[in-house]
Amino acid sequence: MYEMDLIDRTDSVNELLARYGVKFGIYKNNTFREQLFPFDAIPRIISKTEFDRLDKGLRQRVKALNLFLEDIYNEKRILRDQVIPEEFIYASSGYLAQCEGIRPPKDVYSHISGIDLVQGKDREWYILEDNLRVPSGASYPMIARELCRRCSPRTFQEYHIEDNRNYADLLSHVMNYVNTGGLTVVLTPGRYNAAYFEHSYLAERTHVPLVSGSDLVVENDHLYFIDYSGKKERVGAVYRRISDEYLDPMSFNEESVIGIPNIFDIYRKGNVALLNAPGNGIADDKGIYYFVPKMIRYYLGEEPILKNAPTYLPFYQEDMTYTMEHFDELVWKDVAEAGGYGVVFGSKMTKQQKEDFIRLVKAEPRRFIAQEVIDFLDLDIMEEGKAVPRKADLRAFVLSAEEPVVWKSGLTRFSRNPDSFIVNSSQGGGFKDTWVLNQ
Amino acid sequence: MKELWYQYHLEILFSEPAKDHRFTVKSIPHSDERQEIIGQKIEIVPNEFLCDSRDSFGNLCVYGNSKGWYEKFEVLVEGTAKTGLLPYVTETSPEKIGIFKYPSVYTKPGKHLRQLFDTFDFAGSDTVLPKVMQMTEKLYDIFSYQKGVTDISTTAEEAMERGGGVCQDYAHILIALCRMAGIPARYVVGMMVGEGASHAWVEVFSQGKWYGFDPTNRLLVEDQHIKISYGRDYRDCVLNQGVFIGGGRQRQTVHVKVEER
Repeated sequence: MYEMDLIDRTDSVNELLARYGVKFGIYKNNTFREQLFPFDAIPRIISKTEFDRLDKGLRQRVKALNLFLEDIYNEKRILRDQVIPEEFIYASSGYLAQCEGIRPPKDVYSHISGIDLVQGKDREWYILEDNLRVPSGASYPMIARELCRRCSPRTFQEYHIEDNRNYADLLSHVMNYVNTGGLTVVLTPGRYNAAYFEHSYLAERTHVPLVSGSDLVVENDHLYFIDYSGKKERVGAVYRRISDEYLDPMSFNEESVIGIPNIFDIYRKGNVALLNAPGNGIADDKGIYYFVPKMIRYYLGEEPILKNAPTYLPFYQEDMTYTMEHFDELVWKDVAEAGGYGVVFGSKMTKQQKEDFIRLVKAEPRRFIAQEVIDFLDLDIMEEGKAVPRKADLRAFVLSAEEPVVWKSGLTRFSRNPDSFIVNSSQGGGFKDTWVLNQ
Repeated sequence: MKELWYQYHLEILFSEPAKDHRFTVKSIPHSDERQEIIGQKIEIVPNEFLCDSRDSFGNLCVYGNSKGWYEKFEVLVEGTAKTGLLPYVTETSPEKIGIFKYPSVYTKPGKHLRQLFDTFDFAGSDTVLPKVMQMTEKLYDIFSYQKGVTDISTTAEEAMERGGGVCQDYAHILIALCRMAGIPARYVVGMMVGEGASHAWVEVFSQGKWYGFDPTNRLLVEDQHIKISYGRDYRDCVLNQGVFIGGGRQRQTVHVKVEER
């Protein structure tokens, strides 16, 4: 397979990616740096049968998560029936009381879901985490595919691959489905955001304006876009790429200057759709992750098709005992952190670190989860003309309008460091295209 | 039962003209089982664009904006409240009680609150209200009413450490203590006879109903208090918020009058 014409053209693809500005911004030590997102041309290939199973499992999972969000901000049946202890909701920073009682247009909460999976050496897929706030990443395989086709048309004649260039259509459909009347816009915090390339690319591909907070105003219970000429047009859907806390200084962080004052009031009244719904952070909280298989059984009455990585909650005494006995074999995660931060391997801690950590876990058991370390199935990447194995994950995208639909592609991220398990792009990893075969 | 006439007046003076002012006003009482609001008048100037809204707790808001340049923003809310109709308000959405059971930004306990909490002896008081009364009395005794020691960003733990503060701090500390005792508690903002500014107190949940405790005055909330809004802590009950464009300074004054009729 490494004789594939495309692989010989890796450099051309990377040059084009650079020329198109496919970059990732990183803040470290208070300085902003933009860096290219290194592309490796050896694709992750998923067979049709394998994808069919992923497809069913992901749709099932996202359906349950959406029902959970609707329930948690309204009736809270899942708490009353004691499937989830209420402390996991109310003590989580992902739960936003401001969202109580709100029903978003068409009852869709998670319009765009980014579900992270890994494949184990046993060939089994495991869900690592759910991203239901504003998951980024779809633009990278979209544009990479486009450029790969351009650099090596032959490859795409030889392989029977599902075309992933329909992402923009899927996204447009979702935006139109929930639109309450008027324009759809993509709202960006601006060019210093890590995913600014993606914001501009998705706006361009879906043919909608890319706007910043100061271009939008709330007036008389409706949202308007004011363009450069002063023309005012009503907005019915905002694909907002800013986080909940910055969305509206009146309801959330009052210091926010990138948000839109009172947008939350009209959202509550059903006069604008926000993609994704504010408050979704409660569903992708690492503590809530543990409960997703239970949610699937509770809301859908089905057995989960895809597995979680084996996870323990020290909150439960039984799990506390187990995790303390097997401390070194586990990976520990702080539920309040994201983006590969707050993840520590028991085996890599010094004696002192371990003692401090255990004290912290015992003082605030709800704050931590512990997981078995999955033996990843490595993927090859090309390094100096040689194929070398690296850790990789897959972010699958599920778009929800009438029903959830799984995009037949995904973002495969890999760690360039042979010793690292962490593949987040914010930690300097690279990416691959994800091919789903159609026969 | 009392009949109280009230007036809430807010004035913001900008030292240089401001424009594009966007605001949310939440200083608007509404009727419930405890109080009946009669003949309420709300005047906001400028008032080019005003819309009614409610926050997630059901508190009334008016939001709006103004386009032109101006130097003064004014809110006047006036009316009559029949208070003390009942000593409690009934919870109509019991599933939401959990929202008020866990620490919030302002009420997260630290060393000082834990130390205070450990001094309570709840033996013999197996119901909620006597426990809360015990905590209210103790807090009244050991915490001193002092202005200038704390500000609106002070948490319960910080206020406890300083040993003094104002009604906001009393309320936050009592809420923190109640939640440590497993009692759902919420922050209430309102007006009171004899206070020249807005006032804050606490409601605790017992057997389907919310009861008011005023730790600053060591009082049960009966007919001297007019409730405006409630939430998990101060953050949910900010009476006025706004953003504007302009380089000047702003001077804000609030006058509250409550008189028995």
